[in-house]
Amino acid sequence: MSPRIRIALLALSGLILLPCAASVIAGLPAFGATIAQYGERINAITPEARHVANMVSAINFDLRGLDTLGEEFMLLAAITGTVVLLRGRRGEGNTERAMRRPGRAVIPRSEATVLACRIAGPLTCLFGLYVVLHATVTPGGGFQGGVILASGTLLIYLGEGYSGWRDAIHSHWLDALEGGGALLFALCGLAPMLVGAAFMQNILPLGTFRDLFSGGLMLVENVGVALAVTGGFTQLFLEFMEETREAEEPDEPGEESA
Amino acid sequence: MSVILPLLFLFTALSGTAVVLVRDPTRQVFAIAINGLVLTILFDALQAPDVALSELAVGSAAVPLLFLVALMAVRTQAPGEDS
Repeated sequence: MSPRIRIALLALSGLILLPCAASVIAGLPAFGATIAQYGERINAITPEARHVANMVSAINFDLRGLDTLGEEFMLLAAITGTVVLLRGRRGEGNTERAMRRPGRAVIPRSEATVLACRIAGPLTCLFGLYVVLHATVTPGGGFQGGVILASGTLLIYLGEGYSGWRDAIHSHWLDALEGGGALLFALCGLAPMLVGAAFMQNILPLGTFRDLFSGGLMLVENVGVALAVTGGFTQLFLEFMEETREAEEPDEPGEESA
Repeated sequence: MSVILPLLFLFTALSGTAVVLVRDPTRQVFAIAINGLVLTILFDALQAPDVALSELAVGSAAVPLLFLVALMAVRTQAPGEDS
């Protein structure tokens, strides 16, 4: 396709689509207008029906749980695709320990960085766990908490260096976390069918409103999402790092490598 | 509230433009992180705490950290003569 045809095609599609877009934008409600009829309905019925204070979690994991299941597998497919692409040249065998490229300068990190990361890393992980577990009570949930947990592991990397990080985190565990989280979510959908309920029907006891243990099945689904997101993001990071350090000879264990 | 929202929109536009205008990749990562932070405050001001938390975790922590570490890993020259 020559550039001229491409530009003609662009102009043609712009000519057709732009008026449509303009009419849709003109028909939008004014900024800040209250249009949330669906939201108001949710606010009215969810506390009694599901004993959940965080309506976003109630929608994501219960009322529209099937959508979230689809998104979960989209994430799984995206990360699997990235890992397959990055591993393509290296093959299936992933290294157990940190490798480093010979000839690259090792940049030492300051003690202040190490200290700050040693303090902030575990605290970040703790906050991530809090966000995951309180999904039905406060804003947040499995996805947000999972990303915070993954950021916590990255802070540990910044503090300890790559070889120290790889000593603590194993690629196979991350595979298991990611796949296991998605499996847990899928099982949450299938398990109610064993007792004769509908797919993903909330059959667990709903618990107390505004309590940590509220929402029943939503908490389990949340944990599944959190496991998958933590494993996925950390796996992505690990594969990117492996991509930049293709060396046959393993370095000395415990050696600082930036 | 009426002052905060236009101010936040202005900051969003400014920080978004800054991401494009900054050419050095390492600085660009920090510009992305600042843009994520501004968006987080904007989403919070628009009463969407869940989205704000996602933006904070992904836009201003995870993604810049991934970029930063990838940049750090591909930097092969000796320290002191970077960028």
